[in-house]
Amino acid sequence: MLKYSLKRLASAIPTLFLLITFAFFMIRIAPGGPFDSERALPPEIEANLAAKYHLDEHLVIQYGRYLWNIARLDFGPSFHYLDWSVNDLILQGAPVSFTLGLLALALALAIGIPIGAWAAFRQNRAADYSVMSLAMVGISIPNFVMAPLLILLFAITLGWLPAGGWEFSPARMVLPVITLALPMIAYIARITRGSMIEVLHASFIRTARAKGMPSRNILFSHALKPALLPVISYLGPAAAAILTGSVVVERIFTIPGIGSYFVQGALNRDYTLVMGVVILYGMLIILFNFLVDLVYAWLDPRIRYDEQEA
Amino acid sequence: MSIASRLALFAVVVFSWSTTPLSLAAATLDRGLGPEPDALDIHLAQSLSALNVLRDLHEGLITLDPSARLIPGLARAWTVSDDGRVWRFELDPRARWSDGEPITADDVVAGWRRALAPATAAPMAGMLDVVANARAVRTGRMAPSELGVRKEGDHGLVVELEQATPWFAELLTHPLTFPWPGENQARFSGPFVLDRRVPGAHLRLTRNPEYRDRASVALERVVWHVIEEPSVELARYRAGQLHITETIPPGRLDWMREQFGDELRIAPYLGTFFLAFHVGREPFADAPGLRRALSLVIDRELLTERVLGAGEVPTWGLIPPGMPGWPETPAVEERAAAERIAEARELYRAAGFSARRPLRAELRFNTSLTHRRMAAAVAAMWKEQLGVETRLVNEEWKVFVANRRHGRITEIVRGGWIADWRDAANFLQLFETDSPLNYSFFSDREFDALMDAARGRHGEDRLALLRRAEERLLGEHVIIPLYHYVSRHLVRPEVRGFEDNAMDIHLSRWLSLQ
Repeated sequence: MLKYSLKRLASAIPTLFLLITFAFFMIRIAPGGPFDSERALPPEIEANLAAKYHLDEHLVIQYGRYLWNIARLDFGPSFHYLDWSVNDLILQGAPVSFTLGLLALALALAIGIPIGAWAAFRQNRAADYSVMSLAMVGISIPNFVMAPLLILLFAITLGWLPAGGWEFSPARMVLPVITLALPMIAYIARITRGSMIEVLHASFIRTARAKGMPSRNILFSHALKPALLPVISYLGPAAAAILTGSVVVERIFTIPGIGSYFVQGALNRDYTLVMGVVILYGMLIILFNFLVDLVYAWLDPRIRYDEQEA
Repeated sequence: MSIASRLALFAVVVFSWSTTPLSLAAATLDRGLGPEPDALDIHLAQSLSALNVLRDLHEGLITLDPSARLIPGLARAWTVSDDGRVWRFELDPRARWSDGEPITADDVVAGWRRALAPATAAPMAGMLDVVANARAVRTGRMAPSELGVRKEGDHGLVVELEQATPWFAELLTHPLTFPWPGENQARFSGPFVLDRRVPGAHLRLTRNPEYRDRASVALERVVWHVIEEPSVELARYRAGQLHITETIPPGRLDWMREQFGDELRIAPYLGTFFLAFHVGREPFADAPGLRRALSLVIDRELLTERVLGAGEVPTWGLIPPGMPGWPETPAVEERAAAERIAEARELYRAAGFSARRPLRAELRFNTSLTHRRMAAAVAAMWKEQLGVETRLVNEEWKVFVANRRHGRITEIVRGGWIADWRDAANFLQLFETDSPLNYSFFSDREFDALMDAARGRHGEDRLALLRRAEERLLGEHVIIPLYHYVSRHLVRPEVRGFEDNAMDIHLSRWLSLQ
């Protein structure tokens, strides 16, 4: 397992390098530059700005300089938020996005898996239909509809919770976490139900039933672990996405996470900021996919990576 | 304990926790800011949000009262030489930085030199070009010491200008011209100091105990909330989290009036929205008649009332009403619609177009609900009255500004300008041949000559020349002025000292909570 883990981590380096290279040149190809604005600047001032940010150098030299800087974990100055470096922005925003993402993820798992399993257990009965219909609604209602509805109800009409803004306080987290978690709950419930139904028809479950094992034991001791495999594969990329923040939720609840930097960075042609969040996202995807594989081996005793490799 | 009762307990804990942040603490003013400020460095800031915060944190030689009239700031008095070229300022000896150090003329001199240094790369440095030798210093042709600003005694400052500049006092209210706090950015000259800043969330300001006129500052704290979306800002205002909003969402004016009554503050703002022709390219080069035809058939009243509906003021002129030397009411077209349309049809035919051979034109704008509605309405009016076939091109912001500036593919573009200071030349400079802002590529000897002649003059002479320049520009139909902007805020009844003004600048210094 150790050998496998080291190999996987080593293979992440060329993947990241390719990602950085693609992202670096793609954002530079986009028309318009970081300093284009409603007020066009005189050419000599544009030249000063280009010199200050090394944008007057050949693109390959800029690329080399960028690689050298990120090797030292320096993501450079933001081109749009001039008071901050990209490191500052990510270090301030990431804990916020991580907190909300983790809470939403925990909520989604805590609700999604049990209701999915329950629906599978009651397959084709009223409980199953109602849970799955609700899940379908959860998936179909986009968060830019759900968030304003929650604000209207809980912040404006009832006045129980703030409409937005950020502090590390439970009250400010409730609505954004619910908004983030709702579609995930629905996905997880559907995936769990599907795979649980499959597992419940497997021969080892039939054997357990034949031995007279109680339903509850069958569900928790035998069926749940294998049924979770598809949920785990879904969780890898989903966790990376939810931990890096959601642009919609952050904008609607005015949360200073890093989700909006993906969009704002690209719109502002803030080259360094876009690169910073893309690299972070890439690293998280690689990390979570790796973790998913490890969890797979734990959940399914048939999976042994080192032997497969051998 | 059952699951239901546990949930109920959790809800009680969470909701009771929430009541504290909702109540707006006394003596703390919560204001909407709009987008995150681009920089709090006085020389690098460009965005309106940054300028608003900087005006709370720093102060210039001259400042603004609640109605945005000029009043003494760090300079308690000043004189102007007869030829208008030499300005002498006497700094207020009480003026202190927030660390207790006195603010001196040297701080102003150091600031202007830094603003112009090429290494600073200050985007707005060109604003200082009116100061003697500024342009040469900015482009590295002269040493910073040759800039036309020097100290005179401990509290005296002398500024020499390239030529008489009647709006120079206005320029001194712009943060670019404020005294330089030095590399220590945590030092402030204004009524407030920056206490805490969370990017993307808020900037918390507290009262500056060293401020020269601290007795006039009522608020203990001001929190500027970064909120990009007007609809989100509205939700937070309705939830009782904001005292003042930066703006209101477009298109819901009737509902807003009904809902908020006097809390809704809509006031004229020194800004104009227009469509600009690229007059250097086909089909609009050398075609003033055709351009006029397209302007004549646009019903500005219909556009502002029915299509945009956020209080905009329809216009036929460039310079907004209320500008010194201009009337208090917007330019209007006296003739009835039918008469205008008849003339437009004639001009359209004379330009060689007809129902069989319609004009095909392209109208380009950046992504925005308001722009999209405006463009669709204008294209419909052109189609209905003249038969013009308009292609609407919606571009992402940066693509749009780059295309508009280079002018290689543009025909008609969305344009507009908001006053940097109260002076008509600030609008008219957009159309000078060598202006980097000239995206209509208008190059007209008569217009340039009038603008040149106005430079260096002052008083009524200068204004008369500027009025002629505007007439020339409008007579050539380089642009189609559509409306003047309005400022839009929601202001809670307990806020005192908020006065509507055409610059839409409301220093927190003048505000208080009842």
